[in-house]
Amino acid sequence: MNGVYDLGMAGEPRAQVGALGREALAYADTLYNLARYLTRSPTDAEDLVQETYARALSAAHQFTPGTNLKAWLFRILRNTFLSQYRHERHNPTVGGLDTVAPAVPSAEPTQWLLGDVELDRLRKVVGEEIERALASLSEEARTVILLDLEGLTEVEVAQVVGCAVGTVKSRLARARATLREKLRDYAR
Amino acid sequence: MTCNEARALLLDAQRGRLPAEEREALRGHVAGCQACAHEEAADALLSEALEHRLPSYAAPLALKRRLAAAWPAAPVEEPARSRGWAWRRLLVPALAMAVLVLAALPLYYPGPDRGQVMATEAVNDHLRLLSSQHPLDIESGGMHQVKPWFEGRLDFAPVVRFLGDDDFPLRGGAIGYYLDRKAAVFVFHRRLHAITLLVFQADGLPWSRRGLETIGAVRAQVTASRGFNAIVWREGELGYALVSDVDAPELRQLVGRLAPTS
Repeated sequence: MNGVYDLGMAGEPRAQVGALGREALAYADTLYNLARYLTRSPTDAEDLVQETYARALSAAHQFTPGTNLKAWLFRILRNTFLSQYRHERHNPTVGGLDTVAPAVPSAEPTQWLLGDVELDRLRKVVGEEIERALASLSEEARTVILLDLEGLTEVEVAQVVGCAVGTVKSRLARARATLREKLRDYAR
Repeated sequence: MTCNEARALLLDAQRGRLPAEEREALRGHVAGCQACAHEEAADALLSEALEHRLPSYAAPLALKRRLAAAWPAAPVEEPARSRGWAWRRLLVPALAMAVLVLAALPLYYPGPDRGQVMATEAVNDHLRLLSSQHPLDIESGGMHQVKPWFEGRLDFAPVVRFLGDDDFPLRGGAIGYYLDRKAAVFVFHRRLHAITLLVFQADGLPWSRRGLETIGAVRAQVTASRGFNAIVWREGELGYALVSDVDAPELRQLVGRLAPTS
């Protein structure tokens, strides 16, 4: 299990594992949604979620009650995805977001950024287009956007993806900027 | 504050994570910078599009059933080891005890968990709504548009104090059923998740009086069932059931807004 579940520790009696399971099942939809956007396949998403719960069950004794169960499950899911799916599946973006240079969007306003066209476009964009644009981003970008959307704080996202909080902040800024660019491209 | 500094703070500001001083500095910069004002508007629209228009996928029920079955719900007893005929020494007192327990059971058995019955129905109604092709009879233009729509469609007036806000936007309403009676159904959203509020006449329902939790000014039954959280409470003649897969604390927040303040 490569030590990825150490957000918590301490052995817990079996009864608490059952209670943890009940609480964990409340996140099934949330986990499945992230799995759908990571795998881009309903079948793979189901397999990924099922494997996530199996791994969580076997590592339940490592979870500390009172810590963030949702972030813990997300972390297991993402690590499972990376270990089992990433190398088998087509990944549209070569290299991670960390290989992209600027930390924040450039302060130099480009024409499309200054025009109202983008704002109008964003107001009218439909779900299918956002989904398509999101799917075209790298796994790292999709993950930080979706975890942010789930209401996780930057600290929690950093726990899930296993990097520094500052890295999460810059990844999220780049991911959102890239998403906006993709949506702008659809408008052309 | 430079444009680069301002833009690095826009998302934090949008998420309410900036200290007051920094927020004010950002406001000042954006007010005088057309490019950053545009960035702020575009960023807010992107968030709105992601939160409200990006399709969200619920786990199939079959998957939820498999997950629930795979995770042990209660501690499993270790199988007893055979100790030859030693168990016979325990047989007579064990049988005697069993007879006593069975005889006394009707005196103490509280019946089916009343709160669970109410929560199970709420979850069933929520799932029916999610799987419906057209879950909403009226799309929201705000509570002032949704509430009057129920007039003439129900034999009671649903009292809902909360109009929806940025955290829990109101999506719309519908007529539904809760156990044996009609219910006003309101659908709120929390990020990508639907939250169903059922309002119905409370009399004659199996309200639980045990294990209630105080949320705002109401005493509510908070239950987790099949991966969903349900909160059920009564206010006078009306009953309320709130159900979703969002975290229980977030659902409690919404109850706090729906419940009377005193």
